[in-house]
Amino acid sequence: MSLDGVPVLSLITFLPLLGAVLIGFLPERAARPVALGTALVTWLVSLAMIAVFEVGKSGFQLVEVADWIPAFGIQYHLGIDGLSLTLVALTTTLSWISILASFRPIKTRIKGYMISFLILEVGMVGVFIALDTFLFYIFWEIVLVPMYLIIGIWGGSNRIYATIKFVLYTLVGSLLMLVAILATAFTFQGTTGSWVGAFDFEVLRHYAATSGFPDALQLLAFAAFFLAFAIKVPMFPFHTWLPDAHVEAPTAGSVILAGVLLKLGGYGLLRFAIPLFPAAALTYAPLIICLSLIGIIYGAVVALVQPDLKKLVAYSSVSHMAFVTLGVFVFNQQGLQGGILQMINHGLITGALFLLVGVIYERTHDRTIAKMGGLAGITPTYVAIFGFFVFASAGLPGLSGFVGEFLVLLGAFAFNPATAAVAALVMVLGAAYLLWMFQRVATGEVSDFLKSLHDHLTDISGLEILTLLPLGILVVVFGLLPGILLEVIKDPINDVLSDVARASEIPLDPMLVAGALGILAFVIVVRVVTLPGLRRPAAATGEIAA
Amino acid sequence: MSWQDLVVIGPLVGAVVVAVLVLLVDLVRPGRTVPVVIVSVGGLAALAALVAATGAVPASAFGGAYSVDALTTYLDLLFVAIAALTIVFAPDYLAPRGLPLGEFATMLLFAMTGAMLIAASTDLLLLFLGLELMVLPGYMLAGYHKTDGFSAEGAIKYFLLGSFSSAIFLFGLAFVWGLTGTTRVAEVADALTRLPNGISAGLGMGLAFMTTGVAFKIAAVPFHYWTPDAYQGSPTPVTGYLSVGPKIGAFALVLRLFVETLGPLSEWWLPVMVVLAALTMTLGNLVALTEDNVKRMLAYSSIAHTGYMLVGLVAYAADPTGRVDGLSALLFYGAAYSFMNLGAFAVIAALQKRAGVTSSLSTFAGLGRREPILAILMTLFLLSLTGIPPTAGFFAKASVILAAIEAGGPATILAVIAMLNAAAAAFYYLRVVVYMFMREPADQQPVLKHGALLWGGLAVTSVLTILLGLFPSALLEMAGTAAGTLLPH
Repeated sequence: MSLDGVPVLSLITFLPLLGAVLIGFLPERAARPVALGTALVTWLVSLAMIAVFEVGKSGFQLVEVADWIPAFGIQYHLGIDGLSLTLVALTTTLSWISILASFRPIKTRIKGYMISFLILEVGMVGVFIALDTFLFYIFWEIVLVPMYLIIGIWGGSNRIYATIKFVLYTLVGSLLMLVAILATAFTFQGTTGSWVGAFDFEVLRHYAATSGFPDALQLLAFAAFFLAFAIKVPMFPFHTWLPDAHVEAPTAGSVILAGVLLKLGGYGLLRFAIPLFPAAALTYAPLIICLSLIGIIYGAVVALVQPDLKKLVAYSSVSHMAFVTLGVFVFNQQGLQGGILQMINHGLITGALFLLVGVIYERTHDRTIAKMGGLAGITPTYVAIFGFFVFASAGLPGLSGFVGEFLVLLGAFAFNPATAAVAALVMVLGAAYLLWMFQRVATGEVSDFLKSLHDHLTDISGLEILTLLPLGILVVVFGLLPGILLEVIKDPINDVLSDVARASEIPLDPMLVAGALGILAFVIVVRVVTLPGLRRPAAATGEIAA
Repeated sequence: MSWQDLVVIGPLVGAVVVAVLVLLVDLVRPGRTVPVVIVSVGGLAALAALVAATGAVPASAFGGAYSVDALTTYLDLLFVAIAALTIVFAPDYLAPRGLPLGEFATMLLFAMTGAMLIAASTDLLLLFLGLELMVLPGYMLAGYHKTDGFSAEGAIKYFLLGSFSSAIFLFGLAFVWGLTGTTRVAEVADALTRLPNGISAGLGMGLAFMTTGVAFKIAAVPFHYWTPDAYQGSPTPVTGYLSVGPKIGAFALVLRLFVETLGPLSEWWLPVMVVLAALTMTLGNLVALTEDNVKRMLAYSSIAHTGYMLVGLVAYAADPTGRVDGLSALLFYGAAYSFMNLGAFAVIAALQKRAGVTSSLSTFAGLGRREPILAILMTLFLLSLTGIPPTAGFFAKASVILAAIEAGGPATILAVIAMLNAAAAAFYYLRVVVYMFMREPADQQPVLKHGALLWGGLAVTSVLTILLGLFPSALLEMAGTAAGTLLPH
């Protein structure tokens, strides 16, 4: 199959935009079918992209380049490697699933919702395929606005607090990243004397591998990139926006948030931060591994005591995503493999879990675990599917969740057995909070609360099963045959490893450390001073209402 | 005065002619909106063509006191666009309040003439003349709603502090004239480069007074106190104009004065500008966070934007290799800021079409449902003001930051401060979006019908806001050429 001359990547990126514009001109009742149709067509094009992708061919494929702002050498430059490929496919798949899953729950302002969702898809796909740092930043920010609206308009009762927190957290990180992108470009321009390629990822990567950026720039720019990505992942201690955003977001919003948005952070680290500043990555690695371990433990422990179903899944995300950063920053084959697999699997499994929480919330309008119980007797199909994904999330061998975590553990063990031991212990904890939650929800006596709902509590519907089916299939396939994915991501992993292998750790200058701490302190002070409302949820919403 | 001189000042004469024509039209058909709009917008279109034609060849007149170059052309076109958009946006607000458009347009056009004079002045006295011609009609415009107490209060505050700062500026100018013996920009700059032993006390005084005067005009912290009251009190279309017209005009003054005239003293004024920029950005944003009145909030936001533009100036002055990227970023920022801010104020003015509607946040509650198109456009302008891509505001901010990073030193620190400020600013801009889309209004308000003029103007501003973000190259090149004329001679 050949698609020569067809701008496949541009198609995948901008088809949803076309759909969004179309919806704008059509009546409200056309919004749902048009949105779903657009997302499905985009998905089909992305399948075509998978078909024409040549596994094992090094470098970027399906590249599209055009001059955009020639004065600064900024280009419209798209291209994919195995890593982008899998994440783009994940995005297009979860997008149509989410849109389908929104059909029933979203009853008001459907046009605006669908338009937001499609524009969100534009931004997410764009981030994964942009090979120009400036273009990457633009897509990165485009993601922000529709998500802000989705949580803020169609979210739960405390949605405005949650959405503003989400936006501000993300903005602080990303704006500093913009400074770092510009500083990197300027350093390149300063040494080569030309703006050509100053924003081009391939040129910059080559430059980083041959001459390397100066140490001070690496340390500062990596820190800025890392902050932006760590907030998105989210890594402890930058995770506090996540539970709020998840709890308040509508179901489909949570699915995309967990399934794709968190991956933007992991992808950014692998694509930009590490290849461009490998020496700084090595320098910071111990700190990041520590934070990852804390995140793994912290997320699991907090999840254990969550009374709210959705919040529990949200905190499990913190724990699971910390496996990604742990795997990446031990910098060996297994670790990286595991980290990337974990991103994909977390997207599939947690996406499904949020859908399932949405299914029960649709019927009960409650997510309190304590009020549930004995669901197995009332809605057996639902409980069976729920159980399947809970076990997948807990890392049952044979399902995809296991492979990623296992590989990360292997990688961590090669790095340092103690690290692996800590992470492995937490896997037990992970099984504990998930299974305990499942037990409380599904087994035992039917609770009074559920009894009071009578006939409202119907079993999972065909439409809902349809949204979960593709995820379930992929979880099984990737669980049994992880080799498919490993083959696709082999080259990107080797690229990252060779980038890192060429670099050597930067000896830390006390002045630099002091400078970095100073900037950190400034950020904290600015946040604390400027956003008094954000520290008190209830007061914050009141303040906005005032 | 030769025939040649008259040709060179053609655009200025043209601007006055358009203003007089509007007065005449208003005399023939008093109180009518349509003829005034046709004559003024048509006249401004012709004027823009004239500006572009005469600006093609650099020339000077009156013995070098007045000169036309790429910078003049760039700024003139911007001023013409600002005036045209303001006139287009005004009727929707003025008509329901019984305020005539004729005098409004005339005063606006005279103010524009003053701004154009600043852009072309290469003599300090002429600069001052242009400044006064620009701000005097502004005082009248601020008090245009005579029967409204707030309007009168704002106008008086604006007038008192404005004339006070003009006097301070003139005082400083006198020092410089006394010490250099000339008011010609090039000659003053030349004299300043050949100072025998550094800066004298008198020159320092002159510099300090002029800096203070200019800081008042651009509303830099701590000389910004007149802004919120003047902006809040003025009729909304006037506020929109005041937040861009006199500000860009004052920045034209900054370019002519600090870059061209006082360039040799940059090591003296640079630290002051660094502090001014940092204070202006930070304080403007912090106070805006606390404002519940959208006009007042945008007043403080305009103060913050002054700070971002000053970063461009600092980047130029701090750059050891003398690149003009900072100035071209400043010019680009000026254009981008003008369109998005005018658009935002146009939406507020449209909402206030019904007399008695305030500009408080609650006015915006439920707008997304009531008037979705207005709400979406407002969101676009606010996102652009925040600096979210792909909008003009984003690229403007990015180019200022890039210039600041290029310059290095204090400018880089300003770049980081600017970005952190932008994140804080997102809070108050997005608050308006929260009200529009996420809150229900307290009482049912009728859907207003807006005129074709308003929609046309909003179409222009919104399209420009997006286009300048997606394809900034053309304007960036113009700004670069304009800034290039400011290279040390």
